[in-house]
Amino acid sequence: MPRREDIESILVIGSGPIVIGQACEFDYSGTQACKALRSEGYRIVLANSNPATIMTDPSLADRTYIEPLTVESLRSIIERERPDALLPTLGGQTGLNAAVALAEAGVLDEFGVQMLGCDLEAIRKGEDRKLFNQAMDELGIQTARSGYAYSLQDACDITAGLGFPVVVRPSFTLGGAGGGIAHDAAELQEIVSQGLELSPVGEVLIEESIEGWKEFEMEVMRDRKGNGIIVCSIENLDPMGVHTGDSITVAPAQTLSDVEYQRMRTASLAVLEKIGVHTGGSNVQFAVNPEDGRMVIIEMNPRVSRSSALASKATGFPIAKAAALLAVGYTLDEITNDITGTTPACFEPSIDYCVVKVPRFDFEKFKGTDDTLSTRMKAVGEVMAIGATFEEALGKALRSLEDGRSGLGADGHREAARAKEDYRPLLERPTSARIIYLGCALRHGWTPAEVHGATGIDMFFLERMADVVAVQEVLRGHSLDDIDADAFRLAKRYGLSDAQIAFLCGSEEALVRTRRKALGVTPAFRTVDTCAAEFESSTSYHYKTYGGNASEIDGGCPGAKPKAMILGAGPNRIGQGIEFDYCCVHASYALREAGWETIMVNCNPETVSTDYETSDKLYFEPLTYEDVMDIIEAERPDGVIVTLGGQTPLKLAPALQRAGVPIMGTAPEAIDLAEDRDRFARILDELGIAYPPAGDACTMQEAAAAAQRIGYPLLVRPSYVLGGRGMAIVYDSAQLEEYVAEAARVSPDHPLYLDRFLESAIEVDLDCLCDGTDVLIGGVMEHIEEAGIHSGDSACCLPPFSLSDGILDRLESIARALALRLGVVGLLNIQFAIKDQVVYVIEANPRASRTVPFVSKATGVPLAKLAARIMAGEKLSRMDLPAGYRTMDRFAVKEAVMPFGRFPGADALLGPEMKSTGEVMGTARSFPAAYAKTQLAISYELPPAGTVFISVADRDKRAIISIARDFERLGFDVVSTAGTAKALRASGIACQVVSKVSEPSPHIVDLMAAGKVQLVINTPYGNGSRGDGYRLRTAAVRYGIPYATTIAAAQALAQAMEALRREALEPAALQDFPARPAEGAV
Amino acid sequence: MALAEEMRRATSKGPLRPAVLMLEDGTVLEGAGCGAEGAAFGELCFNTSLEGYLEVVTDPSYAGQIVVMTYPQIGNYGVNPDDAQSTHPALRGLVVGDMCRRPSNWRSTGSLPDFLASEGVVAIEGIDTRALVRHLREHGAMKAAIACGSFDAADLAARLAAEPPLQGRNLAAGVSGARQRPYRLQQDSRSFALAQPSAPRYRVAAYDCGVKDSILAGLARSGCEVTAVPWDTPAAEVLALNPDGVFLSNGPGDPDAVADTYRQVQELLGKVPVFGICLGHQMICKAAGARMVKLKYGHHGGNHPVMNLLTGRVEITAQNHGFNLDFPTLGPLIPELSGGAADHSADLRRWVREGIAPAVANERFGTIRLTHVNLNDGTAEGIAFEDLPAFSVQYHPEASPGPNDAGYLFTAFTRLMDGRKDFLALDIAEDRLAGWRF
Repeated sequence: MPRREDIESILVIGSGPIVIGQACEFDYSGTQACKALRSEGYRIVLANSNPATIMTDPSLADRTYIEPLTVESLRSIIERERPDALLPTLGGQTGLNAAVALAEAGVLDEFGVQMLGCDLEAIRKGEDRKLFNQAMDELGIQTARSGYAYSLQDACDITAGLGFPVVVRPSFTLGGAGGGIAHDAAELQEIVSQGLELSPVGEVLIEESIEGWKEFEMEVMRDRKGNGIIVCSIENLDPMGVHTGDSITVAPAQTLSDVEYQRMRTASLAVLEKIGVHTGGSNVQFAVNPEDGRMVIIEMNPRVSRSSALASKATGFPIAKAAALLAVGYTLDEITNDITGTTPACFEPSIDYCVVKVPRFDFEKFKGTDDTLSTRMKAVGEVMAIGATFEEALGKALRSLEDGRSGLGADGHREAARAKEDYRPLLERPTSARIIYLGCALRHGWTPAEVHGATGIDMFFLERMADVVAVQEVLRGHSLDDIDADAFRLAKRYGLSDAQIAFLCGSEEALVRTRRKALGVTPAFRTVDTCAAEFESSTSYHYKTYGGNASEIDGGCPGAKPKAMILGAGPNRIGQGIEFDYCCVHASYALREAGWETIMVNCNPETVSTDYETSDKLYFEPLTYEDVMDIIEAERPDGVIVTLGGQTPLKLAPALQRAGVPIMGTAPEAIDLAEDRDRFARILDELGIAYPPAGDACTMQEAAAAAQRIGYPLLVRPSYVLGGRGMAIVYDSAQLEEYVAEAARVSPDHPLYLDRFLESAIEVDLDCLCDGTDVLIGGVMEHIEEAGIHSGDSACCLPPFSLSDGILDRLESIARALALRLGVVGLLNIQFAIKDQVVYVIEANPRASRTVPFVSKATGVPLAKLAARIMAGEKLSRMDLPAGYRTMDRFAVKEAVMPFGRFPGADALLGPEMKSTGEVMGTARSFPAAYAKTQLAISYELPPAGTVFISVADRDKRAIISIARDFERLGFDVVSTAGTAKALRASGIACQVVSKVSEPSPHIVDLMAAGKVQLVINTPYGNGSRGDGYRLRTAAVRYGIPYATTIAAAQALAQAMEALRREALEPAALQDFPARPAEGAV
Repeated sequence: MALAEEMRRATSKGPLRPAVLMLEDGTVLEGAGCGAEGAAFGELCFNTSLEGYLEVVTDPSYAGQIVVMTYPQIGNYGVNPDDAQSTHPALRGLVVGDMCRRPSNWRSTGSLPDFLASEGVVAIEGIDTRALVRHLREHGAMKAAIACGSFDAADLAARLAAEPPLQGRNLAAGVSGARQRPYRLQQDSRSFALAQPSAPRYRVAAYDCGVKDSILAGLARSGCEVTAVPWDTPAAEVLALNPDGVFLSNGPGDPDAVADTYRQVQELLGKVPVFGICLGHQMICKAAGARMVKLKYGHHGGNHPVMNLLTGRVEITAQNHGFNLDFPTLGPLIPELSGGAADHSADLRRWVREGIAPAVANERFGTIRLTHVNLNDGTAEGIAFEDLPAFSVQYHPEASPGPNDAGYLFTAFTRLMDGRKDFLALDIAEDRLAGWRF
């Protein structure tokens, strides 16, 4: 039965901004779906608020709407585009929620839109615990014993029956937000009250604890004829109690006998049928009691998920693509397995390797928050590694994380000597570092059985890790010359990296590599083929292993086409997200079109770059020198691109160049020129460009002297930074002293940088392209927040709304001069600060920046693609380029999305250290309307009226007056603390005074808790305040009250609300942005 | 001591016992022993199941064969004798990438290498099993030898050359039970997962050509009181038991060589309802005069899609066979029962595309319908007789290891014994669920 002919046009809803629990895996799934459905001839209407995605490329859909995913906004898109159907299962929980909201609001009925793949009833059954538990009961599948609570008292009553510990799960929250495990009454009270607030229906589930049980996931697909397959089984290394997104996971399941596995398989298939998933992919999670095999179902998601992205990458089976095809009427047996090209997709992949996923965390960005892993996901990214054994895959995964580790310990990181018993708390409490402590403990006298007792981790994994540690310990102290080929090969099979071997043998990585190669110990490259080599495969998806010598790649020999290797961005983390994956994917597309063979290297399973269809060849490998060089030596590429994947590949560039690897585009030398402060300052002096006074220091004395010379306030940071890590603004010597004490821990081998902080300056970002001769200005973005807020956390507007043409001319001419002087061949991002009409250059980065996708979408100029073509030797003057950003007839605003809700206790304050996980984009004819769209895209609604609480620092008291007046005019009641109230009243603004948090109740937080405050404006007093402001902001996050922590943001918010009153926000498709005649390169 | 050996001994692997895998074509691979000492010879085949290694190792159908497991780490969850498919392994040897010495599972009673050693099964690890599988895929199944302990390479090669090929050998005789015996379903350590059996309603005689325990259990669970009879029991003796149905089991080796079974089948067909699995299916086909062909490297694993042409539903199946029915040799197509087609096609997926279950005119037994087709390679997987009560499948409804999508075939057999014409038209999903306890 072929595709459905009764539908022509399909609305696909994306997952919105990247947030914890919902990352770029949905860009991967959405992109696959759009491609698959378009190639079937359907007209695709896409809605997603996230500009950094591949799926929002205008070329991937017929109509692309970067708009808020609210009912109103989606309704107007549906009204315009009249899709026949809606595919809700590929946009994560956000997409599913949006679809449910549309159905419930009657929009789907009104416009006759069918839901594909899943219906409302199935979504409800999957998500409503009551309906779900009842359905499972009918199947005879056990669920954990539980009860629903609507109040704290309910929760206590239910817990009395179950006994502590209990698991608390708020209903209908994303990624388990607000959930947790309560071990005693105090914890119960805290988690339940939080959960009741976060749950949109004020309901929490109290459940018997199955903490410590083994956890499994099954990735299931089903078609409309009822054919069902398991694509992949996944076993969590961390037992129940840690969210699966925060767990180290292993595929396939390792410790289930056939009878146990088949029982789980049967249950999974039955669950899909029972819940009513007609077609598509779902994920079913189980817990198994390690003592008696009792199996309990935890949950199911009637949609593609993070795990299905992982399963697709782990097996080579494209779940999202298949789900899209199933949704339009195909059956599994009618779809061909892409990888073999001859067998059908209706089978269960057999894999002949082991896959390990390790989550990546960024707790150090959120001081004050508890870093214990729990049922509420906190990981910001993940890596996946493929090896012939669990041991090999684990070693590869741990060195992929880019947290400075090179494997399971034994890599030169100081491991403080501890008494045996001191490891216990480090093992018992699940944290991001537990896996490393586990290695230490095994090294220092703990037996696997003892570690099992402390962690609950299955003995299988512990025994394997004990073997890895044993191999390390035999190597330790031997000299490199002692290691012969057999020993090398054995060490490699246990997943040891060259860097670990170098550390253990007191040598250097480069020497280890040289000796290893001299001994002929090189890895084999194998193919991911879905079938354990039973059939031939036609797809070039590879991994590296020491599990054998037989390589399956035809690399090394010069082919008909030149070969370009693109190094990806590694795991997502704060400061390096999906934007860089977008750039890498675009480069691959552009080079393929330009006649190159493209080779992608990356280790992030969530991304489009690691879709085996994106490039001609995919190597799923860590982005370390060792792993990248192994691939380069096997493939012998004509060029390697290092400037599109963020810091990850950039860090490798000098070493690759030293090894004689041809680097495409901007030379590493030019990158160094821009990054070395002294050399860069000399260039700026030479070109007559202003920059803030600066200095560096290695000791406190030097820092104090430099501070004296430059003058306060100062922007201070360690010399090596990513995403503003460890960066701060200090206003006096006391703060400086405090900072230096901490910075020493951040990066002991590097000096401290001090820059004059330009207070109240306007910050501007500029992205441009240079081919060595010509420069093309891609876009200039004016930041909403003033200098001092990390550019990744600041909202920005393109084109600038307050800069004169004269200033723009100056910015552009500086960019041109710098690009040419630095020798940029490709992309250049410059950050400026404008104060008192003087333009200062803060920094220049000759690489793809975070804003490239945003600029590309806003202007229609595909910067990353053009950059790749330039790197391949093309000239701007020969390209047919659209007009620049200055002739745009609309404003595009990018706004950052913050994860504070995930990190209770962390201050929700913006600063020079980046903390956002994602971004949204809004476009409109005016800046306020565009800004309003971004706010709607993040929080779904803005308070129409109510009470605004205003409390600002002294320096902001003048500026707040006009903003307060705006809110008054909008009909808000104003509440303030005494100091701010004085200033407001003096200007004739009526306001009520409320006590500070530090004062006796009822104070402002009581008011917030009672739901009597709809908006909070609070600017911080000084730096890192732990006082009133801190408690206020964390309360705003906890109660989900919109807040602004800068004057600029407050002003923009007021304007946006006015815009919302004034006009209906019109959606706009990227395809409609007026195409303007080209002006050529400038 | 060499450093590599020092490292190895520090791990759970212990001292190296050098071992070698030698192929008929001269390929020699070095590894480490992880089972019994000694030398073993047999036909090399690979199995792609991710779990269920004990079921594979104890499957009598592997008699005469050396099995390569494609999943690289084997033995992870240890050994539970209740999962075994026969009292003792019948395979000749086992080849794995990495053998687990310290397994983990609540039902485990010991490690796989210890089990293999105690059962005298020679096994080798440290082999690049993927490269080996690609070799077999390209060059086809071939003979091989594993040696562990002291051996002489030339002697091993000579003994390998002297080892007779699988073709033409009756291996069923060696693994069949010697005497007639009633089958008793054990309430074993798997009862936590398996549903209670139905009360016995049918008396079934099962030809044991090396029957897997879970096949007999499958019959028993669906309400059959089973008497296992030796592979060559005369038809008259079986009929004298007055059974409601006769079952023909799986078994090893070349079906052409098991003439003493298929000759009995010739006599049984039409007299009593008959159901066959794997070798049993081949016995029924042979009885109908069809020809068997040897597949290049066989089907061994738990993930092959098979379509039931009568319902259009796909089953993910467990497979273990090196020989296959050459469907056209059953007889000419009957166009009026085959959508008008008169000419056979080698690739039976044609019938999948056309949505037709074709029928042939068999000169001995009348109309026979093709009921099941393998979607990977278009080979025949099941047939049903129209003019008498009999059907058979090439694959394994009892799974063990593998998915139990096809478990409905046991129910189908009871329906056949009930005299129903639509015995194969069952809801897979419902039947699949019924066998389990959660």
